[in-house]
Amino acid sequence: MAEMIFTRNFHLADSHTLARYKETGGYTALTKAFRMEPAALAEEVKKSNLRGLGGAAFPTGMKWGFIPKGSTAPRYLVINADEGEPGTFKDRYLMERDPHGLIEGMIIAARAIGSHLGFVYIRGEYVQPWRVLDGAVREAYAAGLLGKNILGSGADFDIVLHRGAGAYICGEETGLLSSLEGKKGWPKIKPPFPAVKGAFGNPTIVNNVETIMAVPHIVNRGAEWFAGLGTKGQGGTRVYSVSGHVEKPGIVEAPVTVTLRQLIYDHCGGIRGGRKLKGVVPGGSSAAILTPDEIDIPMDADGPKSKGSMIGSAGIIVMDETVSIPEALMVVSRFYAHESCGQCTPCRESTGWIYKMTRRIVEGKGRKEDLDTILDVAKRGAGTTICAFYDGAVGPYISYIEKYRSEFEDLIRSNAHA
Amino acid sequence: MTDARHPQFTPEQLAEVRRLQGLYPDKRGALLPVLHMAQDTFGYISLEVEEYVAGLFDLYPAHVHEVVTFYTLFFQKPKGRHVVSVCHNISCYLMNAKGIVQHIGERLGIEPGETTPDGRITFLTVECLCACEQAPMMQVDDRYEGNLTNDKVDRILDGLR
Amino acid sequence: MPKLTINGQPVEVPEGTNLIEAAKAIGVEVPHYCYHPSLTIAGQCRLCMVDIEKVPRPQIACNTVAAEGMVVETETARVKDTRRSMMEFHLINHPLDCPVCDQAGECFLQIYYMKHGLYDPRMTDEKVHKPKAVPLGPHVILDAERCILCSRCVRYCDEVTHTGELGIFNRGDHSEIGLFPGKTLENKYSGNVIDICPVGALTDRDFRFKVRVWYLDTAKSICNGCARGCNIEVHTNKHRHHHNEGRRVARLKPRFNADVNTWWICDAGRYGFQWIDDKSRLAQPLHRVGSQGTDVSWDRALEVTVAALRRYAPEEIGFLASPQMSNEDLWVLKRLADQLAVRNLDFRVPPATPGDEDNFLIRADKNPNTRGAVLCGIAPGPGGLDAPGMLRAARENRLKLLWIFHHDLAASSWAEGDVLTALEGAETVIFQGTNANDASARAHIVLPSAAYVESEGTFTNFEGRVQRFRTALPPLGSAWPDWMILSFVGKALGFQDPVFAAERAEQVWNALAAATPLLAGMTYRTIGDTGAMVKA
Repeated sequence: MAEMIFTRNFHLADSHTLARYKETGGYTALTKAFRMEPAALAEEVKKSNLRGLGGAAFPTGMKWGFIPKGSTAPRYLVINADEGEPGTFKDRYLMERDPHGLIEGMIIAARAIGSHLGFVYIRGEYVQPWRVLDGAVREAYAAGLLGKNILGSGADFDIVLHRGAGAYICGEETGLLSSLEGKKGWPKIKPPFPAVKGAFGNPTIVNNVETIMAVPHIVNRGAEWFAGLGTKGQGGTRVYSVSGHVEKPGIVEAPVTVTLRQLIYDHCGGIRGGRKLKGVVPGGSSAAILTPDEIDIPMDADGPKSKGSMIGSAGIIVMDETVSIPEALMVVSRFYAHESCGQCTPCRESTGWIYKMTRRIVEGKGRKEDLDTILDVAKRGAGTTICAFYDGAVGPYISYIEKYRSEFEDLIRSNAHA
Repeated sequence: MTDARHPQFTPEQLAEVRRLQGLYPDKRGALLPVLHMAQDTFGYISLEVEEYVAGLFDLYPAHVHEVVTFYTLFFQKPKGRHVVSVCHNISCYLMNAKGIVQHIGERLGIEPGETTPDGRITFLTVECLCACEQAPMMQVDDRYEGNLTNDKVDRILDGLR
Repeated sequence: MPKLTINGQPVEVPEGTNLIEAAKAIGVEVPHYCYHPSLTIAGQCRLCMVDIEKVPRPQIACNTVAAEGMVVETETARVKDTRRSMMEFHLINHPLDCPVCDQAGECFLQIYYMKHGLYDPRMTDEKVHKPKAVPLGPHVILDAERCILCSRCVRYCDEVTHTGELGIFNRGDHSEIGLFPGKTLENKYSGNVIDICPVGALTDRDFRFKVRVWYLDTAKSICNGCARGCNIEVHTNKHRHHHNEGRRVARLKPRFNADVNTWWICDAGRYGFQWIDDKSRLAQPLHRVGSQGTDVSWDRALEVTVAALRRYAPEEIGFLASPQMSNEDLWVLKRLADQLAVRNLDFRVPPATPGDEDNFLIRADKNPNTRGAVLCGIAPGPGGLDAPGMLRAARENRLKLLWIFHHDLAASSWAEGDVLTALEGAETVIFQGTNANDASARAHIVLPSAAYVESEGTFTNFEGRVQRFRTALPPLGSAWPDWMILSFVGKALGFQDPVFAAERAEQVWNALAAATPLLAGMTYRTIGDTGAMVKA
């Protein structure tokens, strides 16, 4: 049985308390980290092969190194707790069950990047997780783990919890920063990149909740250990979110060597009611859908990529044979049309249009040119926008139609006026 | 008398506004927290509330209006005593969110987006709340309710006063 | 100064130049909507994509700074295809109101579609509907469906006028430009958003439905609304009198001048042209005997004028010039006054209400050529009377001939009674101007002036910048430019000064420059389209 890192305490009712966290080894990494140089900390994280666990899978240690050397501007550590990718719910569990793991990770990461002010941007709907996290932050302040002169180390670090107000685009790194600044969640044009000019115009590193929570463990047990748990491209374990037509939906922690087949059939009980798998989305709704013959892949940063998809937020959405793929695409298209921030033209105008077309197809009024129109419009918009939101929409637009085209064509054929 | 048409924070609340503003390198960072505070205090974000908050931040009212119209958790019209938000995104859709939405609509006699005439419940359909393991699910005020069946929904709605 | 290559051509540009401007420097157009040199970079329209060597995907040119050794291609097949894609995205929800939209003919959706689009449209679903024909303020009207959400207007109100009236509300394809509900777009520079809006979303209420832009001629000119002299274009409808009720001037637009007004003009200047085609325009010379005024020929009008000038001694004659007149007008007047030995000469009439001024463009002095009047020496000679003195002398019957240029004395701060008594006290009142007023209604001789847009000449702004305005229209009726009328008078009086023989305004300017050390060497050519500074 593989070792559980992130979920090790989840079976304990008081896992969120400072007392239990300390009792199970919490805040020992902090002491060790304060004896290391910031550059050494970053190097350790780099060697661990930790990849961003929010969606982009960017090497974390490398990202920490992007703040310009010699910059004297105050720099901020911002935690992306705006979990919003459909099919993903791991950060909610992590914040509710192990908030001190996040806090300790933040303090260490802050040391690595030279930050004295950290923000946790938590989606507005996550009221309970916010309350739990708030309680933990207060405990940490009271125990001298946050604020001035942490544990007598001379280091200062403050954490500000910041609630969002309902916008998926605030999970995009720079959309989050705009929202943190008190504006609409419009992503920022790049360059400049956040590490150079981020929140409030200052260098900023944005990391996902889970990514930061790996850091204390890497510090305590070493980069080699963490790297060794995973594949060549990515180290460690991660927490997968599995939902849809499985017997046992829920979070599953596993080393990133685990395959998609194993997650579905070994960890989550297989397809509900003994039905057959029709398709599965491996990395949150923005990831291209995979067919049943494409699930023997390791669920690391490279596995789904080898099949033209992505690991993304590791939100696995399982669809069985009862699913109408055209209707599923309509539901997903509706999401992107609703969440488009509207800032740049290709996304703003075509997400709404494509939703209208998918709905028309589902309602039996599809036309034979609709499928190629959707595919062509999606391909023309991909890569042209301010942020990757549209590319996330394009994932399902193209993969659902290309891989299940006959199902769409059948629906359209049933329309007498096609 | 202070309400959404005549908004006025108490001295304690104003002190809290200043405290929040001080947490951010630019005080505008406190806009979302203060808008949440205003909505909790005045019930919803009216145009008067927007102008009032704009004044607390030295912002043009148009820019506060931009923020309020952008985010789904800010209500620009009075809402019910309870807000029931049913997820209709992909994982919940796979687990019969459509049926739950229809059931609630029939029970309450309103469409998604509307409020019951007695002001008890505002009923919304929303995008992914990231509780897909409990699909189909909904948010009722501050808490998540999942693994919904028609019966469970009925019990929850009946408990909302 | 980085050196880069654009479409194979080397170009060197100042540090910090973006690729749109770098391309422009060598005459290469990179189509764009949201970029504007006066505003922060938005990067929203995605139309200005260009290919850059070693960069896998096309990049927006507005947010790419020219770097040493950069190799840029703006006309690759991929860039062209990207532009075509972007045009389609922009037109997905566009209402295609062209038949009823004022922007037609100068609309950048039309222009760029014809140049870079030319695809067959395939959007056949219901488009998003938004508010149409919404007045935002006294001058601007919004059609939210036509809006491409480039955000230029929002950034303008934030960054240029610092008034922040506009915002983009909602999100996705329901995004909408608008005001805070209940407020208006009321800043003094609101009309500029019409110019910077690339499409027919923000249009001019004054110009609405008046005339199609392809019927308009244009001339470079200078606003006469205040002493700043914002550079403008005068757009005229010369041939289609069934449009706009026969009014010839359709609208004014600001013209870029980096040193005077940059891209902008205030609303008062933009809309201050109604007088040009107003019914109150004087088009014929008039001679009034008793209470009877009759239109007369120029020959007869000049005859009567010359007779009056010969009848009185120089100290009985007063010229009340106007800082609305051009340098050329004022110089010929000065020469005439000198030849006649008339020393009662002034131009200063105080306005009833002090003019407004701000730290942007608006000057309190609502005249375009005050400095020019000073340079031309329009001031009382030794022992001569200034403007109040002339009026007093007229009231006391000591001033027999009062020649008023342009002034509407009822709009001055002088008591109405004093003005009327002065007009009644002078034996002969000559009014020379463009529009009828209380003075022209009482004048014995009325000489119709051409409006400044109906001639050419120069104004000198408050900073001492001499700027040229060009002829936009022929004079109305029988009106002539002031300098020409005064030349006729000079010639008819037998004066030999060559300036009275001038046939073109430029000849008058050259005479003025030759006689004025501070203008030495300045010619119409050196003044050009952007002006030249008077010597310090």
